Amino acid sequence: MQSRKSISATRSLLAAAAIVLGLAISSGSLTAASSQVSVGPDQVGVDAARVVGPVQNEVVITTDDHPQVFVGADKARDGFGFPVGVKKVGRHIHDAFENSDYDEVSEVASNGQPLALTQFDGSGRLTTAVRFDATPSLAVRITGDAATKTAQRGLAASGLTAIGQPRTDSNSVDGGWDVHWARAVEGFTVRGDETRVHLWANGRIQTVARVEHQLATTPARRLSQPDARNVVTKQLDQWSGKGGVRYTVTDMNLEWVGPNAAFDASKLNAAPAPYRLSWVVNVKPTGEAADYIRLITLYVDAGSGTVIGGDVVE
Amino acid sequence: MKRAETWLVSILLVVSTLGATAQGAFAYTGHVWSNSDAFKATCLGFNDTYPQAMYSLAQSQLALLGYLPYGALGASFTKSAFLNNVFYDYAVYAHTHGDNYWAASGSPNVDSGILQDPGVGKCNSSSRDMIRSSSIKAATMGTLYNLVVMSTCKLGASNSTMPGAFQIEKTKSSTERKFYLGYTYLTYDSSAYRFERAFWSYLNGDPNHTRTVYQAFMYAQSIGGYASPDSANPFQPNWWGNPNYNGTPG
Repeated sequence: MQSRKSISATRSLLAAAAIVLGLAISSGSLTAASSQVSVGPDQVGVDAARVVGPVQNEVVITTDDHPQVFVGADKARDGFGFPVGVKKVGRHIHDAFENSDYDEVSEVASNGQPLALTQFDGSGRLTTAVRFDATPSLAVRITGDAATKTAQRGLAASGLTAIGQPRTDSNSVDGGWDVHWARAVEGFTVRGDETRVHLWANGRIQTVARVEHQLATTPARRLSQPDARNVVTKQLDQWSGKGGVRYTVTDMNLEWVGPNAAFDASKLNAAPAPYRLSWVVNVKPTGEAADYIRLITLYVDAGSGTVIGGDVVE
Repeated sequence: MKRAETWLVSILLVVSTLGATAQGAFAYTGHVWSNSDAFKATCLGFNDTYPQAMYSLAQSQLALLGYLPYGALGASFTKSAFLNNVFYDYAVYAHTHGDNYWAASGSPNVDSGILQDPGVGKCNSSSRDMIRSSSIKAATMGTLYNLVVMSTCKLGASNSTMPGAFQIEKTKSSTERKFYLGYTYLTYDSSAYRFERAFWSYLNGDPNHTRTVYQAFMYAQSIGGYASPDSANPFQPNWWGNPNYNGTPG
């Protein structure tokens, strides 16, 4: 610890010296002996704006004013086998990061630390549950089948239903299991929507997520795959004209997707819109960009035939 | 006489500069770097909006944690700027292309790397723009780092050498005040952005900093809804460090 303190002090002093020296040189009051002298913290772009960002606004809620939230929290906690705290703390949160509102109940330990929390949307449906205690050792590891059954039992005990056949994957980070039900509507996957249960290797449930976006109406006339490919080809030709890059379509599927600002900065502050049935088209660049761009995904609205967003894998 | 006046003015300038900057200089600096030029229309045909969004988010949230944020979005994110500044940092955030490349000694040795911004009007070249973890490690000169976030593909994988560049061992039971966050596989920008928004929102949700970075990580992971490129590349963030550390500097 002592060495860390001395290193920190030295680092701060060097930073101070570098800043002072850099400013002195830039103000003309000293002359640098050589061009190698001016090392130190880069001050490019320092301004007050960088400390302005999204924040959460919270209002405390209690069992008296929101009894149904606390009943739901207890049911989820017990259904998932989460630890019980010495007290509960309830909050209504306006999340400026996600532009959403939800109720949250935390189980709090005697040291004041949260042991677990559950969140509910405006209609009282559970959206998130997580326990915060540490991952136990991997001495015992249940099978994938057992993980699936445990997840199903936990959801049922908490009053949640998950439709369809789950996919169960081993988790490479903690050796546990991820049991996942994708949401599909009218036969098409809703991109990102899911019920997901993560279990530790020993079979205890650690997290539960339920994500369900609002959907727009199904388009009366659906863009055919060849027509969607034409839309994408025109878009890619336009991009190639600007950047000299070439793209190759690798695959395309119909999915429900959320419009976003990936390719259009003017939509950055747009309110979240209902998901739209769209052709999700994966393309790969060739040439210079292939060195560092793995994949670009375009969303082509299956009704209007316009590109409404997409994604990038850098 | 003129010479004496010049010296007097110089000394006064240095003294006043020292006073004005002392508070900042002794603050805990954190650099936020984001590569944007490689993802602009000159390279891709469109302007990718995520580099700006990631940069702004990290800048604002590191400040809320108590770091003095510096850094660059775009052309000032150079290899030399990164390496010249990293020694002074307590927190480092980078959003760019990253991967676990073979070391100069060859397979199976890995020397993870990230790409600097290529500069206005240019596209990335990995041979020219790579900032290797070995170079970073040399530049850090063994100093300790509180919070390192590699908002890239693959630098949260078990074979990544990037944590070691910042003296962060790949253990989840450290007792020192340090935490490294990265993604294990190929990762959509939208998923990284969703994760990081949830991560920062939970971590800074209590202004008294009573929450731990591990709790914020688990919360962000728990919300789900992350798209992934394919089944071979599930969305999988990873961390190493101290599960009881609250992310504040020092």
